[in-house]
Amino acid sequence: MNKNFELISDYIKKHCQADDYVLRVNSSDNHETRFAQNRVTQHIAGANLSVDLTVSFGEKSGSCSVNQGDPESLDYLIRTAEDMARLNRPDPEFMPSVGAQELPQTQNMDAATRDLAPARMVEIVQQAIDKATAYGASVAGMTEKHYWETLLNTKNGFVGTDSATEFGHSMTLKKDNVETKVSYSAKDMKGFSLEGEFAQLASQAESLKTMKDFDPCKIAVILRPSALEELLWFMGWMMNRRQSDEGLTPFSGQIGQPFFGKNFTLKSTLARPELYAPAFDREGVASRELTWVENGVLRNMPTNRYWAKLKGLEPMSAYNAYMPGAHASEEEMMQMVPRGLIINRFWYIRTVDAKTGELTGMTRDGVLYFEDGKVRNAVNNLRFNEIPHLATRRIVAMGESGLASLHSCLPTTLIDGFTFVDKTSF
Amino acid sequence: MRFPDLAMNAAQSLGAEYADIRVQKTTDQVIFLRNLSLKNTSTNVLNGYGVRFFKDGAWGFAHSNVFTDEAVLATVKRAAEIAVLSASVNKAKKLRLAPERGYIAKYETPVRIDPQSVPLKEKIELMLEVNRAMLSFEGIRQAVFYLVMHKDEKVFASTLGSRLELNTQWITPMLAATAVWEGDSQSRSFNEGGKAVGWEWILELNLVEKAKQIAEEALIKVKADTLGPETRRSLILDPIHLGLTMHESVGHPTELDRVLGWEADYAGISFATPEKLKTYQYGSEIVNFMGDNTLEQGLATLGFDDDGVPGQKWYIVKDGILNEYGSTRDTAPEIGLEASRGCNRATYYYDQPINRIPNLYLLPGKKELTPAELIADTEDGVYIQGQGSFSIDQHRLNFQFGGDFFWEIKNGKLFRPLKKVLYKSCNPEFWNSCDAICDERWWRPFGVINCGKGQPSQSARMTHGAAPARFRNIRVGGSQ
Repeated sequence: MNKNFELISDYIKKHCQADDYVLRVNSSDNHETRFAQNRVTQHIAGANLSVDLTVSFGEKSGSCSVNQGDPESLDYLIRTAEDMARLNRPDPEFMPSVGAQELPQTQNMDAATRDLAPARMVEIVQQAIDKATAYGASVAGMTEKHYWETLLNTKNGFVGTDSATEFGHSMTLKKDNVETKVSYSAKDMKGFSLEGEFAQLASQAESLKTMKDFDPCKIAVILRPSALEELLWFMGWMMNRRQSDEGLTPFSGQIGQPFFGKNFTLKSTLARPELYAPAFDREGVASRELTWVENGVLRNMPTNRYWAKLKGLEPMSAYNAYMPGAHASEEEMMQMVPRGLIINRFWYIRTVDAKTGELTGMTRDGVLYFEDGKVRNAVNNLRFNEIPHLATRRIVAMGESGLASLHSCLPTTLIDGFTFVDKTSF
Repeated sequence: MRFPDLAMNAAQSLGAEYADIRVQKTTDQVIFLRNLSLKNTSTNVLNGYGVRFFKDGAWGFAHSNVFTDEAVLATVKRAAEIAVLSASVNKAKKLRLAPERGYIAKYETPVRIDPQSVPLKEKIELMLEVNRAMLSFEGIRQAVFYLVMHKDEKVFASTLGSRLELNTQWITPMLAATAVWEGDSQSRSFNEGGKAVGWEWILELNLVEKAKQIAEEALIKVKADTLGPETRRSLILDPIHLGLTMHESVGHPTELDRVLGWEADYAGISFATPEKLKTYQYGSEIVNFMGDNTLEQGLATLGFDDDGVPGQKWYIVKDGILNEYGSTRDTAPEIGLEASRGCNRATYYYDQPINRIPNLYLLPGKKELTPAELIADTEDGVYIQGQGSFSIDQHRLNFQFGGDFFWEIKNGKLFRPLKKVLYKSCNPEFWNSCDAICDERWWRPFGVINCGKGQPSQSARMTHGAAPARFRNIRVGGSQ
């Protein structure tokens, strides 16, 4: 365990007078180089610490967090949390902290990424700008690395630690009226190639040169992983067991039912090493293999410890998203429907109706129109109003699953009859 | 405090053309109550400092939470090293800073009762009473009360000689009731956002009565009709709703960093490009938007921004014409402006400040006009109260908004309540369709406490405001 974490943990154990406590400590070291219009506009470096203590006396709880680990700050932390708990009312939904748990072995940290030098990050930015300049375009984006360590410790004996790294690089290229984006987000840099990323960016830009006006309608879409990721995260936020049992979501009463498309499966998994998978959640529940939807049947939804106890369920949290794919290429998908759109990315998705699960959002960073198996031209951006769990019933084909970000491994997916309701002028 | 002088002397000795240090302690007290169960009762403190170092046309920003001389000097050195690295990239395109002078000043949010001094027990008793009031209505399945009390204690020093002590705070209460009926669920909320005031606001609000009202309205809403297919109608929008509409369709497009393309990779850019200044018909002639970081109780009324530029008041849209942007010291020179409008703000000590929306509001109509008169003058329309779903494209042109509570207007009367109403419009069509704004008696503010922007993402605050206004010939219909 991080020596500083050990000192903090020992101090809380020694000085906290409460009946129960949960201590969460998080430290991070971050470096972010932000660029736009072919120059660096922001450049940030620093380390952070968060010490978060929740204490309880009987069923009365209070919390405090500070960002320093010295005795004076920790005394304030304990005193404030304890004072809040004493002044508080008993919580009818109070849960004592978790005890010792057997945790899975996870590997989320890459030492080379943790130690990545700022000079190397700036070199990547310079290369991106050089390539954009040579292409006659401007580029905006960010190169970032993050390293973080986490400790969760409870009075009832839970001790869990985790560490992780993330390397990210994104580029939005603008040339004349064409805007498009690529992004890389992973535990490490091993799969990163600026050459490859820029080649993809330039290829997308070339494909978007011929733009034609396109009116909104119901049409087949090929959602690339970044687009699908945005849609699934918003749907995932509605998949809450308690809220559903209380009649507040579209998933009320649907456990065990074929509520999604039969070729749609969604999991959180420890078995994909490229995905970030913490060993435990905020309540101290150990991560394990979880199937949310299996061949269209809703199997589980995230459930907190209180609701799980009340309903006789197992508590569980979604810690990443894995959607098993198939083997169809984009070219093959274009042959499967008469016409459709290829979507790179969605943007500004919001809930329209929490009960039906309807979402709205817009396409961004390139939309291609295909017909008779071939890409014909780029089209303007469009607004969709769509219910994602219903859209999964119209999945026609899937490609192989690939990393959309550190948190999602998803396939390019062909969905028929996607509902676009409006368009914009670019 | 000796650290600001230590840091600025070190920055100058390292060759800074400009540097500043922002020592910032943020304290949030958060209480979240759901169905009589306290889900969160916490006090959260973030205390540290960030140093900006500007040299050879580039920034370096480093932050730390360690308050020792050695740590301060190391942080300045790190910011300097990063600035040198930034400057090594594309040396032909340097940033410049708009001229500014140093200030020695203090600013404090005027409050009568410091919210963080009110006993926790008193707050929780009030919240429970409000929660019980909502749950006393049959059919209300979920009652929530979210209360945040926020305080920033800042010391800002710069190599221009500024020494600023800025102590600001705000408070926000948000209530929501969710009704379930015949397979549907609908929520109604009381949410005026945040205000830079004290606990006295909470006492004046009579939240128990507000709770009963929103519970009743949630029950009306869940049983209400839907509107059916989209047609063109008139819209009357209340000030709370307009707060969000103007935030998205006027506030963000007139942030100069977006206009310049600095947010192209994430938050997006803007259609309101510089060649449109002073000529572009953004709205009808009655549409006037003020940027005003001196607004009483405004969340962006902070005395000075994080460039050390004092709060100002200016027209962003004047008589319908795009007039000026919200700018910072590093964005203003890019379009030849001689001074910043003071819109550079960071959320926490570890955030590098970025160009933010100021307090931005729609001026009330000049002629006497009440909401009742406006409704009476409307033949076919929808009156929208509060905020719902919202989404806009990355150029800030095309948008779709929902709302929190809806009434169909027929022949000058509130005809029937509705649910699941959406409208779609775009810039500049929307603001040019504004044909009536109620007078100043009906002007109300809305304080945004969670404006997300930037990489890494920051959450900023600003206040909007409006009187009820009417928009003609807008596409309005029901959701799926």
